[in-house]
Amino acid sequence: MTIVWKIAWRNLWRKPRRTILTVITISLGLALLLISLGLGDGSHNQMIESAVHMGSGHVLVQQKGYLEKGGIDRLLSPEEIRGVESWGQEMKGRFPIRHILRRTFVSGLASSADGATGVQLIGIQPLEEMQASDFDEKLIEGEFLNADDGDWVILGQGVAHKLALEVGEKLVLMAQGVDSVEIRSRLVRVRGILRTGLEEQDQALALMPLGASQEFLDLGTQVHQIAFLLEDSRFSDELASIGQENFPALEVLSWGEALPQLRDFIRIDDGGSYVMNLIFFLLISFTVLNTLLMSVLERGREFALLHCLGLTPGRRFIMVLVEAFFIAFLSALTGFGLGFSGHLYLSRSGLPLDLFYSGELSAAGVAFDPVMYSHLSPARILQPMILVFGLTLLLSVVPAWRAARSADVHSLGRA
Amino acid sequence: MHQGDTILQLQNVSRLYHQGGETIRALDRVNLTLRQGEFVAIAGPSGSGKTTLLNVSVGLDQPTEGKVWVGGQDLTGMSAPALAQLRLNKVGFIFQSYNLVPVLSAEENAELILLLRGVPAAERKRTVHRVLKEVGLEGLENRRPSQLSGGQQQRVAVARAIVAEPALVLADEPTANLDSETAFALIDLMEKLNQEHHTTFLFSTHDPRVMKRAKRIIYLLDGRVEKDVVSPDYA
Repeated sequence: MTIVWKIAWRNLWRKPRRTILTVITISLGLALLLISLGLGDGSHNQMIESAVHMGSGHVLVQQKGYLEKGGIDRLLSPEEIRGVESWGQEMKGRFPIRHILRRTFVSGLASSADGATGVQLIGIQPLEEMQASDFDEKLIEGEFLNADDGDWVILGQGVAHKLALEVGEKLVLMAQGVDSVEIRSRLVRVRGILRTGLEEQDQALALMPLGASQEFLDLGTQVHQIAFLLEDSRFSDELASIGQENFPALEVLSWGEALPQLRDFIRIDDGGSYVMNLIFFLLISFTVLNTLLMSVLERGREFALLHCLGLTPGRRFIMVLVEAFFIAFLSALTGFGLGFSGHLYLSRSGLPLDLFYSGELSAAGVAFDPVMYSHLSPARILQPMILVFGLTLLLSVVPAWRAARSADVHSLGRA
Repeated sequence: MHQGDTILQLQNVSRLYHQGGETIRALDRVNLTLRQGEFVAIAGPSGSGKTTLLNVSVGLDQPTEGKVWVGGQDLTGMSAPALAQLRLNKVGFIFQSYNLVPVLSAEENAELILLLRGVPAAERKRTVHRVLKEVGLEGLENRRPSQLSGGQQQRVAVARAIVAEPALVLADEPTANLDSETAFALIDLMEKLNQEHHTTFLFSTHDPRVMKRAKRIIYLLDGRVEKDVVSPDYA
């Protein structure tokens, strides 16, 4: 077989310009595909991380039906909280769990001397949440909460604006208690104002220390949700699935189940980019097919000679496949080099979105980071490389078949 | 049908081509036997069936009727890979237009058959160098066909044809593209190989000067063997 490889390799360089152009075309296609996949995956990761770090989590544990119907009375009992948290500690040995957070949620009304507006009041553990979430990074005025800040809240910029409130000023929160038909109210002060970049969240968000919210709503030590934050969102499904087996009476959700809009957005976006990439590669495929076919058709006499000398049809078929393999190998190598360099640059420096858009961008209820960073897993790198190899070899079957059948011995007599 | 030292045998071989509703009889009931060590020319005007006869003889073309044996093997019904293997093991080729593989050097072109036969590297190198020296190409081993003259290219083709010591060498108008001096040098070489190695040569030609060097001449006309004679010089 050595001779088949040798002839195939030298055939490539018989017309070096054509070979180089073909390799460049495929390489650029592969490089662009890697960069596009990197930016796509990177932006999706950023969206997931942004969403889970703004009041959600990679895995959420709550009472059954809370995702769909909510309800202030769907609470986790102290026993359930202990059970879930102790399970979470056990799971730290198997999964990269960074934080386990307790939260309460209630819809209520906030009012000041200048008006009133509906708010989503979230009770959080300030110290833990500061380490785990991005709330503190979104502060535009004031400071973040302290654990013993019983009468202080953080407001979304929209809420503060509607109520004409500034840091240190007072407002009244009103909400229904858990076992009461009475409306409860509490006078609190503004510790800080934050802007998440999501209009609807900024228009309704109010954060309060967990203890204060439990006291305000008469929840005792009960909470609505325990959120797990991980190092890597890829473990979310597996951890949630194990959690659901352990706590069948509760609702244990992965980020995708907790944020179905975001999950669907990412799926649709991935689907769209797959279609675009496929179209792109089909166009490139024609270049490859053209090159290989031209190369084989030009060499009809040579294949006839090899046929004469005793090179079997199978070996002639393999010879063209080997030529295609060399093209694919060179292209994959060059394309990987170019694409991975692009990915490395974009994973460090990022792509500033303000080059293309002004203002804040959001989709599926998540604010876009203004700088998009590339992220590629080894599997993601392998996929397009395999696609290039597979497609090039597949396309070479037609010319290889022609070469195997090419046996016009009469052409050998022509000068 | 096959006899002891018979290399090639054709029995009632006809080859018909259909072209634009017309049937052309390229070979018409040809009978031919070639024995080990013969130096045979096929002569005849253009279109007499010389090339078709050579092609049919080694399975490059299928006879419409009749049978062909090469080295005792009946070619009837043999598959394409089996025919390729037979040619590889038993037949060497020399063409009018050299037909070397352009991307291989003189040495690699000569080595090609040995490689395909799976001869070990050391033996391959030794044999190729000996044969290239024998055909007068010593020192030109690394040149590619485009860097060689027509005569030198044809010598590479001869080296390729004989390197594996085939039972039969077929040559289709081997001197047609060469000047007289180079043509005679080539025939000298073929003759020498025939005498020294007992290699059987079957070559087509319409050059009377080349024909004179053959020990036996088969005259074809309209696809038929018109005459099959031992050359007067060897009679």
